Order: sequence, then structure tokens, then C-alpha cells
Amino acid sequence: MSWTDAHVRRLFWRAGFGATPAEARAWAKRGRAATLDWVVDGPPGGARLRGPAPNIRGRRLDPVNVWGDDVLWWIDRMVRTTYPLQEKLTLIWHDHFATAQQDTPLMLAQNRTLRRGALGSFRALLGAVTRDPAMQLFLSLADSTKQAPNENYARELMELFTLGSGYTERDVREAARALTGFSSRYSTSGLVSIAYRPDQHDDGVKTLLGRRGRLGPDDVLDLVTTHRRHAPFLVTKLWSYFVATPPSAGTVRALAATYRRSGLQIKPPVRAILSHPALYANLDAPDLVKCPVVYVAGALRTTGTYVTQDYATWMLEQMGQLPFDPPSVAGWDWGPAWMSSNSMCQRFALGNYLVTWGRPRVRRGSAPATLTPSQAFQRAWSAVGEPPVSGATRATLEHLAKHFFDDLDPRWRDTAGWRGEALQGTLRHLLLTCPDSQLH
Amino acid sequence: MVAWRMGSLLAGTVLATVLLAAVPAAPTADARRRTPATTVGVGAREYRFAEYRASVPRGVVRFDLTNYGEDGHDLVVETRGGRVLGRTGKVGSGRRAVLQLHLAPGTYRLVCDLANHAALGMRTTLRVTR
Repeated sequence: MSWTDAHVRRLFWRAGFGATPAEARAWAKRGRAATLDWVVDGPPGGARLRGPAPNIRGRRLDPVNVWGDDVLWWIDRMVRTTYPLQEKLTLIWHDHFATAQQDTPLMLAQNRTLRRGALGSFRALLGAVTRDPAMQLFLSLADSTKQAPNENYARELMELFTLGSGYTERDVREAARALTGFSSRYSTSGLVSIAYRPDQHDDGVKTLLGRRGRLGPDDVLDLVTTHRRHAPFLVTKLWSYFVATPPSAGTVRALAATYRRSGLQIKPPVRAILSHPALYANLDAPDLVKCPVVYVAGALRTTGTYVTQDYATWMLEQMGQLPFDPPSVAGWDWGPAWMSSNSMCQRFALGNYLVTWGRPRVRRGSAPATLTPSQAFQRAWSAVGEPPVSGATRATLEHLAKHFFDDLDPRWRDTAGWRGEALQGTLRHLLLTCPDSQLH
Repeated sequence: MVAWRMGSLLAGTVLATVLLAAVPAAPTADARRRTPATTVGVGAREYRFAEYRASVPRGVVRFDLTNYGEDGHDLVVETRGGRVLGRTGKVGSGRRAVLQLHLAPGTYRLVCDLANHAALGMRTTLRVTR
């Protein structure tokens, strides 16, 4: 497979939040293997944040206390991290293990848990999520006792987190019994702890997925992750976040084998998906819709814009993907569902903010009205990070540039810099919001 | 798979021009000079508060209340003697409210005074330091 700027851009968008022009050129030169290693393994020494920390009109973020700062805090990580795949997987696990309506400190703690385990052992991540206070409270696993086992977590564990199918209602009931024993403790200021109390656990004999014994919480997690349906279920779900077309049966078998051979590590199947030719199909006609978080974080990152305003929080809410607040335990609906009319209106508004406050804003005197249509397009394209643009889009924008001054007396053109700047603002806005920019 | 007609771009230009006008103005110098408030996040549900910080320095204190419960709740800030300093009003399920007060050093009571919610557990304290 050849390795060009276009391959790098596709990989960086799918595995993270886009590539800057410098990144696309540098990694195209270094080749496919080196790029994949860097993207998948991250920089030596782990992730760092590069660039200025968020500063909202002179105020530092307070993600725990100020509503919306948790979202800005996470978007900032996506914009500044040196290990974008880790943040992308954290977002993916936030959708997979969707949790909502819990206190902000608990949601931020869960976010750290997801990030820590994002590319490690799935079994370890599942164990951490099962004991995570936000999840325990969301799905009523906390205070599920032997006298009254709650089935919520057991059901979603099998249906949404590990298997998808292949279990019975009796399995759900038996798993719920085996998962009993977690007990919450509160003070007047809120949750103090959730601890496992053996006296609240049902230590009787259960039969789960064909296995009989005095099963406890970790036995349940071992049984669902070693079940024959787990590996195909998980790799198919992972694939859907990176590639728009479903995987073939053979691809699922190969990815599942990679996942099992690795001892249920997350990184090997992710590496295989990011290396798969399907990910690089139709480089000039992308078909995966950017989810709102990727659209916002990607637009900031690829234009070199840092978090200095709080618009991202309320815009993401309007676009239908407010982090830390998924609509249900099943997470968000992905794909074309993101492109509702209201969501698209907000994506358009984001373009306004970027060309008003962000790095792509037009400086006075920077764009004379005497530029040719091609020069005007080129200048705008460079200013917004050289995004992938189809020939049709380019032709449409150059047509717009050609006729932008039709109402102006040609004798005034030399002194009509303000009109040239208006054209630049319009071109930059359209490049950030046009159909090409909605897909990756 | 999503395909858009490129002709919509020109219509978009008009919309862009309209929306550009809607971008808010930069904050004024006065607003920037104003003493920043210390924010206390508070989560409400049946029947308890979660207070994300238990003490703050004196000055402007902003309470960011989120109702994670199913019933309506409010947040009332009062002195230890029971004098009400401020209240959010009733906040519906899933809704938010902000209450901003200037507080001197001391200990304050935070309660939900709807029905018997405080008696059921929706009461806590906030310490304001010098």
C-alpha cells in the first residue's frame, strides 16, 4: 500500500481528531509502519498536553464545580494531547459503557478510569467499570443485595457490554445474584464510598452460561468475557467506530482471533482495524460521519485553535452529543443520525466562532480584493488547516470567489480590502462547515 | 453514507452571513476586572445533596445546582440561625440553576425546603473561610 498525505489524514481523523498540514506531510514521509506505531502506541513516555492550557476570558477551568467546564476540560485534552488515540478510545468507551445523570466528580473519576484502561486489557477495564461508583449508581448495582438483587447491571453487562446475544433471562437473574454485595455509604455532603460487603452477597449456588458454582462478581466477568460470542461482539463494535461499512465475516473472525490470542487486550484488534485496507478505501470520498465531539475537537485541533471560549459545551449539547450525558445506557446513535437539521445548524454556528475567535480569523489587511479566485481559495484553505476538499467543493468555492465582487465597480477593487476580507471569512467558514468537513 | 448537493453551499453563504452577525461581542474590560466567584457544584437527588467542595474563601460564591433526581428540588442558603440569604426556586428533574451570593466567613446551611425534603436528608453545610 502506498502512503501519502491523504492516508495520514484519513488515519489521524479516524484514530483521533485530524492531522495538521505539518503532521500530514511529516508522517507521509516516515511511512506507513512508523505512522501506525506512533498512532497506536503513542509517544514514548506516554501522553502529554501541548500548547496553552484553557483560559476562558481570564478564568481557569474548574471541571468539578462549574457546569460545562468538565466538557471543556475533555475537549481541551482532545485538542492538545500527543496521544489522540487514547482520547478517542476514552470517548468510545464512554459511549460503550454509557453512564449519565451522576455527580460530576464521579463522572470525572470514571473518565480517568476509561482513559487509564483505554488500550489495555478489556477484562481489567470491565472490572474497573463494574466497580466504578458512577456506573454502580447509574445501573443500580450499588445496594443490590442478596434479599433484593437488581438485574439492571447484569442485563446491560451481557446485552450491551460483552455479548449482545446468546444468553437467557435465567442467566440475567443468576448473574444479578452473583453480582450482589456492593454497598454505598453517604455523608451529608454526598457519597463517601461503595464497598463490597460479603454479608450482603448471595453466596448460594448459581448456574450462569452453563457454569454452576458459588459464583461471585469476578466469576461473572470471567464467564462473559470468555464466552464464544464475546470476541466477535466486541471487535464488531470497535470496527463500527472506525469504518462505516460493516466488516465481512472473515474480517470479524480474524479480528476476534487477534483479540483472543492477545489475552483480550484492546490494542491488538484496534491496531488491526487501523491497518485494514477498508479504513483507507475511497480516500477522496470519505463516508464516516464525524460525531459532534470529533467535529468540534477536530476543527479546533486542525486549525491550531485552543480552548479560550465556552461555546463548545452548549454547542455540543445542541448538536446532540454532550459528553458526560449520553441519552441512555445504550449510548448515542452514530452515523447519519448525527446530521439532524438542528445539529447541522450548530455545526454551521461553530464555523462562525472559529472564524471570529479562532486561529482562522481574518486579519485586517491580509486579504486584498485583488486576489484571483484560485489565490483566494488557496489562502482560505491554508488558514483552516488544509482540510481534505473534493474537486466539486473547490470549484464551487472558486466560482463564489469569482463572482463575489460582481456588484463592485472594478475601479474600486484596489481599495476594497474589507470585501476581500469578507470573502476570506466566507470561504473559511464554508471550508469548515461544507459537506466534505462533515465526513472523515 | 451521506451525500449533499454542492449547490447548498451557496445557500449556506447567506446563512453564514446571518450567523456571523449572531456571534456575541467580546467581554468588556469591566467584566474581566470583576472579582471571580468561587463556584460550588451541588447535585440534588432524592433525598440528599452532593456538595462538590465543602469550604470556600469569603467573597462571591456561585452555586451551580443540578437536579439529578426525579422530583423537583430547590437550594436554599441560610445562616446557622435560619435567616435565608438566597434560594434558587424549584428546579425540575434534569434541570439546572445558579445562585450567586456574597458570603462572609462562617458556616452556612444548604437545604431543600420543598415539602419534607430537608428532614429526609437534603441538608448540608458550607464553610466559608477568611
